[in-house]
Amino acid sequence: MMLPRRQTILGGVALAAGAAAPAHAQLTIDMTKPSFEPVPIAIVDFKGDKVGADIAGVVRNDLQNSGLFRSIAPSAFIQQNMDPNQPPRFPDWRSVGAAGVVVGQVTQAGGNIKVDFRLWDVVVGQQATGLSFTSQPDKWRRLAHIIADAIYKRVTGEEGYFDTRVAYVAESGPLGSRVKRIAIMDQDGFNTRYITDGKTIALTPRFSPTLQEIVYMAYGENNAPPRVYLQNVESNRRELLGNFPGMSFAPRFSPDGTKVVMSISADGNTDIYEMDLRGRALRRLTSGPAIDTSPCYSNDGSQIVFNSDRGGTQQLYVMGAGGGGERRISFGTGRYATPVWSPRGDFVAFTKISGDGFGIGVMRSDGSGERMLANGFLVEGPTWAPNGRVLAFFRQQPNSGGRAGSVTLHQIDITGRFERQMPTQGDASDPAWSPLIPQ
Amino acid sequence: MRMIKALTAIAAMILIAACSNDQQAAAPATTTVTPGSVADFRQNVGDRVFFDTDQSTIREDGRQTLNRQAEWLKKYGNYQVTVEGHCDERGTREYNLALGERRANAARQYLVAQGIPAARIKTISYGKERPDPVGSDEAAWARNRRAVTALQ
Amino acid sequence: MAAFELKQSIAMKKLPLRLLILVALALPTAATAQRGDPVYVEDRLNQLQQAISLLTGQVEQLQYRTQQLQQQMEKMQADYEFRLDHLEKGGGGRPAGAPAARPTTPSIAAAPSGAAPPAAAAGAADQVYNDAFKKLQDGDYAGAEKGFRAFVQRNPQHALAGNAQYWLGETYYARRDYQNAMTAFAEGYKAYKSSPKGPDNLLKLGVTLATLGRKPDACAIFARFAQDYPRATDLQKRRIEQERQKNGCG
Repeated sequence: MMLPRRQTILGGVALAAGAAAPAHAQLTIDMTKPSFEPVPIAIVDFKGDKVGADIAGVVRNDLQNSGLFRSIAPSAFIQQNMDPNQPPRFPDWRSVGAAGVVVGQVTQAGGNIKVDFRLWDVVVGQQATGLSFTSQPDKWRRLAHIIADAIYKRVTGEEGYFDTRVAYVAESGPLGSRVKRIAIMDQDGFNTRYITDGKTIALTPRFSPTLQEIVYMAYGENNAPPRVYLQNVESNRRELLGNFPGMSFAPRFSPDGTKVVMSISADGNTDIYEMDLRGRALRRLTSGPAIDTSPCYSNDGSQIVFNSDRGGTQQLYVMGAGGGGERRISFGTGRYATPVWSPRGDFVAFTKISGDGFGIGVMRSDGSGERMLANGFLVEGPTWAPNGRVLAFFRQQPNSGGRAGSVTLHQIDITGRFERQMPTQGDASDPAWSPLIPQ
Repeated sequence: MRMIKALTAIAAMILIAACSNDQQAAAPATTTVTPGSVADFRQNVGDRVFFDTDQSTIREDGRQTLNRQAEWLKKYGNYQVTVEGHCDERGTREYNLALGERRANAARQYLVAQGIPAARIKTISYGKERPDPVGSDEAAWARNRRAVTALQ
Repeated sequence: MAAFELKQSIAMKKLPLRLLILVALALPTAATAQRGDPVYVEDRLNQLQQAISLLTGQVEQLQYRTQQLQQQMEKMQADYEFRLDHLEKGGGGRPAGAPAARPTTPSIAAAPSGAAPPAAAAGAADQVYNDAFKKLQDGDYAGAEKGFRAFVQRNPQHALAGNAQYWLGETYYARRDYQNAMTAFAEGYKAYKSSPKGPDNLLKLGVTLATLGRKPDACAIFARFAQDYPRATDLQKRRIEQERQKNGCG
C-alpha cells in the first residue's frame, strides 16, 4: 500500500473500499454561486494512537478556518467508538446535521506512522474519498494538513492550501526603532522560526516556487543601503543578489524560479531589473525618471505587472516579461500599488489608497472587473494562497499617543467573505504565502 | 474637495514649519552647545527638511534649512553626511522606499548645488520604516515626510 | 553586468518635443534662483519631470476614454446595421433569408386559442424587448440584461428571441464581463443558429474568446462561419476575416 517515498511525507494512496460516490448537493460546494452555506462536517478523533486526536483537531481547525466548512463539535456526536473500517451509522450523523463524517486511524509502520482516513457522504450513505499517508512521527501536523487538503478538494473541487507556509515580517519594539525580521510559519500559525536575526531591518519576503528559498530585502549594517538577499530556508545560507551602488529591493521570483525581478535605485530614480539566477546577468526592464517598483510576474511568466508614478500618481501597469509594451491597467479613483498576479492567472490583487483609506482588491489583468475585498485605516500587501481562492494581507491599526497600533496578518476569501486574523507570534506584516509543499 | 484638503494640509505644514523655525531662532540664546558639534548642527542649523504628500520637491522653508546646513558643513569640513529619506505611513512599503530615496536625493542635490562635494554626502531611504514622531494624524505625517541630514 | 546602466534619462518617449518646449516656456521661474545656478537648473528639471508625468497621466486617461468610446461606437454601429437590416426586410424581425420558415409569433406558451396568436401577449413581449433595447442604448446595461434575459426566458420561440439572446451577450460584453458574455453568445449560437443575429453571435463569441485569451477556441469558432453562414453580408465576412488575422488564425 505504499508509494515510493520521498523524504518525509509519502504519497497518498486511495483506499479501495467502496465505490466512489457521485457528487452530491450537500457534500459539495459550488463556489461560483453568489452565496452558499458552509458544509457541516464531523471529524472524529482518529483511532489507534494518541496523536490521532491531535490530527483530527488540526483537520477541524483548517476546514473551519476556510469559512467553507462548519466543524460540528465532537460533544454532539451520537455514534461513539466507531470502527474506522466500517461505514458509520448514517442516521446518527444525519440527526446531528452532518453532511460528511471523517474517520481515520493511525498505525505504526516501521518507525513511521501511517494514517488512513475516509470521508463518508452522510447524505447518500457512501464513501466520498479515502486515502492513506505515511510520514515520520514528528511530521504529523503536515499529515493532518494534507488530509484537510484532500477533504477540501473533494468537497469544493478546488485544490486545498492547508499544507503551506507563510513567510512574514515579525515586528517588535517601539515604532521609531522597530526590529523587523523575517519569520516563517505553517499556514495555521504553528512551527514559527526566524530566518534573519533582526540586527538590521528585513522586509518583503517572497517564496521561490520550490519553497527551498526565499528572497527578501534587508538593510546593511552601519547605514548601508538595502539589498536583496537569496536565502535557503533549510540551511539558512544566504547570498547577496548583486552589489549595486544604490538600493535594491522589491524582489520576486519568476514562476519557474530561474529569475528574480526587483527594483534598483540610482541617483534617486527607481527602475525595474531582472536578474537571471544562473549567470547572475542583469537586464534593465524599465527606464525614465518615474518610480517603477513592486514588479510581479504573471502566472505563465510572460508578463510583469508593476506600479509606477509616471502618470503623476501610483498606478498599475503591465509589460512583457522582457520589458516594453507597457500599458496602464488601473483607471479608478485613487492610487494603486503592490500588484500580485494570481497563481491561476485570472486576477491581479492590489492595494488601493483613496480618500477613504486603504483597501485590498482584485481586478482582471486587463484592468476590468475591479472589486474591493477589504478596507481599513491601513491594509496592504496582498499575497495569494496557491489555489488562487484565498488571499492574505496585513492590517495596521492607527498609532496613538506615540504608541504603535497593532499590525496583524489576515486571510480572506476571493469573494470578500470569511476574513480572519492569522495567528502570529507578535506583530506581523508583509505576508508571503508559499506554494503547496511538495509531498 | 481634494484641492481644499491639499491646501489645508499645506497650511498646516506651514504652521508647523513656522513653529519649529521660531524654536530654532530662539535656541541660540538659551542653550550652550559647542559650535561645530552634532548638537549645534541639530539645534542651531536644523537637521531636517519636510515635503508635501507624495512630493520630493524641496520647499521654500526646506531651502533655507539646507542653505544653513551647507554653510555649516563648509565651516566644519571634517564631517561626512548621510541624508536619510523618509515617508509618512500613508503609502505602500516598497513605493515609500523609492520615494524616500527620491527625497534624500533631492536634498543631496541641493547641498551639492550649494557647493558641498558630492563625495561627502551619501543617501539612504528608510521609506516608512522609521517614523519620527510616531502618530497617525496629519501633523505626525507632515513631520514624517522628511529628509534628515545625519553627521558622521 | 553590462546591462546595468546607471545613467538617468528623461522619458520623452510618448510626448512630442514641441509640447515639451511649450511646457518649459510656460513653467514659472523660481523666484530665488538665477539662471546658470545649479539649483535653478535642478528646479527646472524637477518641474519638467512633474509636467511630463502630469501629461503622461492625462494621455493615459484620454487613451482609456477613447478606447471605451470606440467600443461604444462599435456597438452603436452594430445596432444601426441591425435596424437598417430590419427595415430593409420589412420589419417584423423575420429570420433573414427564410421569411416563411418560421411564423412571426410561433407558440407563445400554451396559447388558449390556436387560431390567432394572442395579440396582447405578443405586444407585451415586444414591449419588454423594446424597453430592454432602449436601456441598452442608454447604457443601462444591468437593466438591459434583466430585460433581455426575461424576454428570452418567457419567449424562447419568439422571432426576436435570437436577437434578445445576442443583445444579452452585448450587455455583459459592454461591462467587460467576458465570462458571462461568452456564455450568452455561445447560448445564442447554439439555440438560435438561424436567427438574423446568428452570424453576429458567432462573431462576438469568437471575439470574446479571443479577449479571454482563448485564441485557439476563437479561431475554431471563426472557422465555422463560412460553413454556417454562406449568405452572410460582406461586412460580416470582412469582420470575421479581420478577427482571424488579428488573432493569427491559420
